[in-house]
Amino acid sequence: MTNSYQYQRHLAEDRFGLQVAARLSDATDDLPYDISERLRAARHQALGKRKVALVRTVSNLAASGGNGTMTLGHPGWWNRVAAAVPLLALVLGLIAINVIQNENRANELAEIDAALLTDDLPPAAYTDPAFTQFLKSSSGQNQ
Amino acid sequence: MATEQELSEFLKSVEKRAFKRSVYHVRNDESALDIVQDSMMKLAEHYGHKPAAELPMLFQRILSNCTLDWFRRQKTRNVLFSNFSDFSLAGEDEEFDVLETLNVENHSEQTESAESTTQRAQTLRAIEAEIQELPARQREAFLMRYWEELDVAETAAAMGCSEGSVKTHCSRAVQALGAALRAKGITL
Repeated sequence: MTNSYQYQRHLAEDRFGLQVAARLSDATDDLPYDISERLRAARHQALGKRKVALVRTVSNLAASGGNGTMTLGHPGWWNRVAAAVPLLALVLGLIAINVIQNENRANELAEIDAALLTDDLPPAAYTDPAFTQFLKSSSGQNQ
Repeated sequence: MATEQELSEFLKSVEKRAFKRSVYHVRNDESALDIVQDSMMKLAEHYGHKPAAELPMLFQRILSNCTLDWFRRQKTRNVLFSNFSDFSLAGEDEEFDVLETLNVENHSEQTESAESTTQRAQTLRAIEAEIQELPARQREAFLMRYWEELDVAETAAAMGCSEGSVKTHCSRAVQALGAALRAKGITL
């Protein structure tokens, strides 16, 4: 009995509340023009704010997006590695050029040495002043 | 995530009620407009990415907080909210028979059809006046529950109180409004 009365009471309260609310809704239909316009302007301003907030969020994401995809939780590490790669390549290239040039020079010297050693003329002859004189005179005769 | 269109539609659907609710609280059109505008901006800026279904409750909460902030700024909060938890009403001793209202409601269609526009406007003014006379928490609970049509749990979440408190606030608000309107000879 009490429960039934309580239930009916709640039901009646809800119905009364909704009826009052329905009357209040009439008031919102008749708002003055300037109030409605100002509310509309406020709404547009709020939507503008949302755009700004979204742009800020997107730009933040874009700024961290490159790192995010490459680093998987270690921001900056891959960036540092990527920046060091060209420098490393340059150093390795210089070392390789140096090694190749040294080898070429050594090969040239070896060829000269081999030519001297395999020639009929003994190497000691080049240090003889008479042989040098002979070369000069023979080259003069040829001209 | 709510699209711009959804957010716009939502704000459009609540802005007028929000304005009137603020007016009932602060009794000043300019301040009410400021409060609604602040609430809209905060919702759009901080919660624009939330799903559309969450917007009503968030907005009600923001609106309540903005209203409270306004009172704080006005430094009149202590005066106006001193009886926040004091639910005693002047006419509380009078027994309000809800079933009597229920009986009246059975004839409401006939009453409404006979009611002139002027009478409707007068009734509306009387209801608004009585709502403004309600204690702040009762008014807030009543308007959220019946005007914004939030359920008890949502109202409790928006008001930051228990569901039991919401039911108590609403019940007392209905009783107070019913008694006041009956005293003025107004039937709905």
